[in-house]
Amino acid sequence: MKVQCELCPKRCVIKPGQSGECRVRINIDGVLRTVVYGFPCSIHIDPIEKKPLFHFLPGSKILSLATVGCNLHCRNCQNWEISQANPEDSQATFCPPAKLVELTEYHHCLSLAYTYTDPIVFYEYTYDTAKLARQANIRNVLVTAGYVNKEPWKQLLKYVDAANIDLKGISDDFYRQVCSGTLKPVQEALVEAAASGILLEVTNLIIPTLNDKPEQIRQLARWVKANLGSDTPLHFSGFFPRYKMRNLPPTSLNTLDMAREIAISEGLYYVYIGNILSDVGQNTYCPGCGGLLIERSGYTILQNRLKEGCCPDCGREIYGVWK
Amino acid sequence: MTRRKFIQGLIGAGAAIALGTWWLAKKASPRRFVRALQLKKYPGSLRSLRDVTKPSKWSG
Repeated sequence: MKVQCELCPKRCVIKPGQSGECRVRINIDGVLRTVVYGFPCSIHIDPIEKKPLFHFLPGSKILSLATVGCNLHCRNCQNWEISQANPEDSQATFCPPAKLVELTEYHHCLSLAYTYTDPIVFYEYTYDTAKLARQANIRNVLVTAGYVNKEPWKQLLKYVDAANIDLKGISDDFYRQVCSGTLKPVQEALVEAAASGILLEVTNLIIPTLNDKPEQIRQLARWVKANLGSDTPLHFSGFFPRYKMRNLPPTSLNTLDMAREIAISEGLYYVYIGNILSDVGQNTYCPGCGGLLIERSGYTILQNRLKEGCCPDCGREIYGVWK
Repeated sequence: MTRRKFIQGLIGAGAAIALGTWWLAKKASPRRFVRALQLKKYPGSLRSLRDVTKPSKWSG
């Protein structure tokens, strides 16, 4: 008997013995099963700035994990060795939710990140771990492309404290041609996440010739402002030739600077540059008085001048979770 | 055609249309999300937990 997976907008109809597009949700005797529950392929402690999250517990360590598999197949994927891997060909560690919480506490991490591939495809593992982590006062962070159906998304958001969600482009054509997905479900997931009250940051990876036109960037920034709010931090990330897109050059610092300027001119308060070193593009400035609040270099915090989440110069409250 | 046969035909056609509409609506409306069940055995190879304290080489 065939089964239909209702987790993501692909709604795969899966024949017995076969998997969905994500490779990790399979039909065994007419029952949908997840083969990666409790089997992460990668567990590491990262600085939270690497996610990137710049407005959530800055300078803290975060236990980060992934299983293999992804429901998108971005031609430029930087983690394609794990995101596009078959579970049969991969190596994993047995680490059930309770063990993950224990590891997080043991290493004095304040939060747990479900990241690297896409936590949507290891949904049940993420959900159960997040629920357990919440009971232990550990915060949960998702780093995702947001390609998920509304019902499971709303259920998961109840246990999520912060998320960085990719908005890979602002056209449906881009999503179809580069990512094998569609734009609308991602926009809906972003709006739902913002409405749920979690700390939300957005990342846009700029790929030369595909989504680097000033007009495309302006349109994206306008959409973020209109639908998520001016406070939502936006990260413009640099592309590197990877996977099936080795024919394009890396994104230049000039392009990323240009994108940042456009987004600021469109009224976004916190716009950052990532995957490349920049003098000012990684710092947080007060949208009220323009004063420097957090100075960063790479993933390192050089200084944090925030006082109780407010600008020390003008007293303006800054969007974020600071402790 | 008798009046009885005509009414029977009318009821039959109405029932067929109603059944077809219900089937189409059921097919078109999204089903409720059901969690996937856990598979106890990993299909790939297993290894012991390595040093987790080093930052990952993966993006994100």
